[in-house]
Amino acid sequence: MPSPYRRTRWAAALLLMTTSLTACSGGGEDGGGGDGPIKVGISLPLTGDFSEPGQGVQQGYEAWAKIVNDSGGLLGRQVELKILDDQSSADRVVADYEQLIGSDQVDLVVGPFSTRLVVPSARVASEYGMLFVEPAGAAAEVFTQGFKNLFYAAPAVANDHYNHLAEYILALPADQRPKTAAYAAMDDPFAQGTAYGLKAKLEAGGVKTVVDEVYPPNTTDFGSIAAKIAASKADVVVGGSQYQDGVNLIVALQQLNYQPKLAAFSTAPTNPEFAAAIGNKTEGILAPTGYSQDAPYPSNKEFVEKYTAQFGKAPEEDQANAYTTGQVVAAAVKAVGCAEQGDCQQKLIDWVHANKVETVVGTLSWDDTGKPQGAHMIQQWVGGDIKIVLPADVKEAAIVYPKPAW
Amino acid sequence: MPNVSRRLLPLVPVVVLAVAILSFPSLAPNPYILSSGIVVLNYAVLATAWNFVGGFTGYISLGHGALAGLGGYATGLLVTKAGMPAFVALIAAAVLVAALAVPLGMAALRVRGASFVIVSIALVLILLLVFQSWASLTGGSRGLVVPRPFPSLLRPEHHRVFFFLYGGLLALALLTWWIVDRSRFGLGLKALREDEDKASALGTPTFTYKLIVFVLSATFTALGGGLYALWFGDLDPVFQFSVLTGSYLVLMALLGGVRSLYGPLVGALVVGTALEYFKGSFGNTPLHLVATGVLLAVVVLVMPDGVLPALAAGWSRLRRTSQTSIREVTAAELRDQRTSAASAASGSARSADSAGFAGSAGSAASGAGATSPGTDAGVSERASAHERSGGGGGKPDSPGRRDQEARR
Amino acid sequence: MSLVLQSVVLGLLLGGLYALLAAGLTLYFGIMRVVMIAHSAFLILAAYLAWWWHERLGLDPLLSLVVTVPLFFLAGVAMQRLLLARLRAVTLTMMSVLVTFAVALTIEGLLGYAFTGTQRRIQLGYGSAGFELFGARIAVVKLIAFGLAVVSLGALYLLMKRTSFGWALRATIQHRDAARLVGIDTERTAGYGFGLGLATAAVGGTALSLDSTIYPSLHWHWIGPLMAIIVVGGLGSVPGAAAAALLLGLAQSLLQIPLGTTWAQTVFYVALFATLAVRPQGFFGGRLAQRF
Repeated sequence: MPSPYRRTRWAAALLLMTTSLTACSGGGEDGGGGDGPIKVGISLPLTGDFSEPGQGVQQGYEAWAKIVNDSGGLLGRQVELKILDDQSSADRVVADYEQLIGSDQVDLVVGPFSTRLVVPSARVASEYGMLFVEPAGAAAEVFTQGFKNLFYAAPAVANDHYNHLAEYILALPADQRPKTAAYAAMDDPFAQGTAYGLKAKLEAGGVKTVVDEVYPPNTTDFGSIAAKIAASKADVVVGGSQYQDGVNLIVALQQLNYQPKLAAFSTAPTNPEFAAAIGNKTEGILAPTGYSQDAPYPSNKEFVEKYTAQFGKAPEEDQANAYTTGQVVAAAVKAVGCAEQGDCQQKLIDWVHANKVETVVGTLSWDDTGKPQGAHMIQQWVGGDIKIVLPADVKEAAIVYPKPAW
Repeated sequence: MPNVSRRLLPLVPVVVLAVAILSFPSLAPNPYILSSGIVVLNYAVLATAWNFVGGFTGYISLGHGALAGLGGYATGLLVTKAGMPAFVALIAAAVLVAALAVPLGMAALRVRGASFVIVSIALVLILLLVFQSWASLTGGSRGLVVPRPFPSLLRPEHHRVFFFLYGGLLALALLTWWIVDRSRFGLGLKALREDEDKASALGTPTFTYKLIVFVLSATFTALGGGLYALWFGDLDPVFQFSVLTGSYLVLMALLGGVRSLYGPLVGALVVGTALEYFKGSFGNTPLHLVATGVLLAVVVLVMPDGVLPALAAGWSRLRRTSQTSIREVTAAELRDQRTSAASAASGSARSADSAGFAGSAGSAASGAGATSPGTDAGVSERASAHERSGGGGGKPDSPGRRDQEARR
Repeated sequence: MSLVLQSVVLGLLLGGLYALLAAGLTLYFGIMRVVMIAHSAFLILAAYLAWWWHERLGLDPLLSLVVTVPLFFLAGVAMQRLLLARLRAVTLTMMSVLVTFAVALTIEGLLGYAFTGTQRRIQLGYGSAGFELFGARIAVVKLIAFGLAVVSLGALYLLMKRTSFGWALRATIQHRDAARLVGIDTERTAGYGFGLGLATAAVGGTALSLDSTIYPSLHWHWIGPLMAIIVVGGLGSVPGAAAAALLLGLAQSLLQIPLGTTWAQTVFYVALFATLAVRPQGFFGGRLAQRF
């Protein structure tokens, strides 16, 4: 049996551990008002499953901070980003925002990436009464949690991404209109939301669903799903995809020589590496997008120019969403005239609820739940390049239907 | 050493622990530290619960993350779907998981060693699939939101309440472990750990004992997981059913020492703090995985009985005064020493005798020099296998059949 | 009908890869009574090396085998000598799980550090090529992967049946002490056998990289099915593992038609639990499994 010495030793170790845990945390700086920089706390998935888009979002935030600071800062104060890595885990993201708000005493917080992480982190922000503008929680679930402090800084939620495409399809003459559709969506609230948004509208319009597949995010072999879709000979294939799964699904469909009349995939086709990844067989693929580098909004030109100068390439949707988030927060801070924890946050929240904000993705406004009121543009790969084809008033090219062979 | 202090000394850690838990919320400079404290306490509860199986029976389960996840989801679902009050749901969930642990344990404990570990990992993976796919019940990847049990409390207050709840649960788990440790039941379990077949031959109902302790472990794990669900509020299958959780628990328990009451708790403090530290230092890289991996390998290879017991052993070697006459060597270690000593002596003929001599361990010389445990791995493994098939009764592979196969 | 045929073809192609990988995993167990959790981590490592080879050197990923197979063989020998042989014999099986688990975590972390968590995929000129066979379509890359698996399994079979090393290896698996009695250096044989097992991971990883996305944490996705396969096939039995792999691969592929992708994956675990309940020693060979 253990000797008494051992136990005392352990007790000492325990005490040491407890005190060291307490000590290493101490000395939280006094943040809040004053003339110091405005500290903006962010937790992002820089490692783990969402690390790719997470890094895109990070660049967007960095570009925003630089552009704001180069033009004199906010309220005359510099903006300082405090970015923590949440390892793509919900436990961590909550701990991160606890740390940012409680320990680091940041003045503002903005959102992380992916719906799975947005809901838990929004709750932390909500319970500390902080304004929470986020760039990536597009799924419907985010807006049914009763958050009063949350705003999604993009034109539309996931289920509305394909609205323009659905209108177009259902407006086709009856003999051209597709009869059947196949859906394959990643088991992820955002990706599934996009596909099911379109599914609901097409089903209501009489397009029959012949395949409805959901695959886990870690799926790497799409042979069987593709076989099902190919065997169904559906006129339309819709992929609720992130990046790599979309690529894999398209390659698997091509391996089976399946030729639909219309193919729409979320996210993946707008990625700059997409064409190379599927061997340039991109012809006619459709994708919704909330952002275009060529969009005519006033602040967008400045953003594209300065972002390209800073990072050596043009911004994508993730970067733009993060930048938009920054713009919304900045507009609120300028209008209200404060940026610190406490009463100021409620004023900021009230202001965003009551106003419209000009951003790089257009003019944004929100309903009571923080849901943006808009729809996404539809892009299509035409002649080796991706172009806006819907809605008609901003189109760069005419939509090609039926889709040529890929 | 005087009698009084000898009797009082074991109380010291109890007092220290109680004081630490009671005072920490007031000492914590901000809510973040308090929430980190809850995470560490959660680990401590789970690691102590793990140690009911790992410490008493020697069965290493990598699947306890799944039991915690089940506890969490059961609590969450009972609150949201059945409308139970939060803490009634917590108890009910623990009872449910305990009930589920009976068939689970019967399946898993039927097999030993490798198959048990495989089953425990498979449990995590299959539950992940089920909870992700069964979206109509569990919410699938959309997650499950568990409403706050104290909606009126501000977040820092909420943390404080849960810190004390976790402290209470930890005390309960430790107390139960202590009682089991000192009971006849615990004695049987320890006999089972050292040599399952011999214990069984001597009349210990090994299977029943294993099952009881497995269910006990599952209950505390489920309580820990359920409390976490109530505190954290958001459940997602990917994070609830993660093999990594189970591996952290094993690391904590092994690090602190599985044979002692406070081992897993100390391990949880060390690993929990280290995880925070790694996150701070290597924030943007996945090197925390490397650190966990290397630490686990070092503990298993160098100090399989735990770092703190190893340190304590070094300490008591330094001051030999209070050395007792009873050796603190496990039967396994003793057997190792004897096999290597004997094999060094008997050369290549050793394998012929190996079956016999481990059984009659009493006569073999001990100590000499455990020079090459690796080379003799086969011998003692074989020896223990023989013992098992001899003592366990009912096993189909009798020595005769084995010989037949060897000739094949 | 064509969907069923297509699924059978896909299932067999996938089963071939499972068979090769499970053969390696069961080999370790036969030789050392070790459950090698890191097997699939090495698989992903090999896939990353093939990807890197293709990305940096512009060479066909298949050529990376020239480097990775010997490299993995040596790594296997080293791992057996330096890590596993040091464990206490009595707790070997349990502790080996933890050590190899630690190795798997380390590999995952290092891969993430070197290549980030981004999903990677080799872009081959023939990536989406395929041909028709009796109404089923077969992708060229999947066929190459299957071919690699078959060739390696065949080579493994010949090595174990026709060479004196294979003879020694089988003797070691069957009865280590008896093998030692007849003069086999079981320690060295065990080391080489371990190297051989890891070499299958190198081949499997390269085959995997041809037609799949890879990312550092992918190995968790593989280890579950592989472990289920070796238990169903009977721990330690190479032919058993191969048969179980083809069977379960086929079952998974066919079950995807009515059940969908996620539920179809559970077939492995259902088979695992059913095997342990009905016949814990596995359905092929498997006299070892009872005791472990």
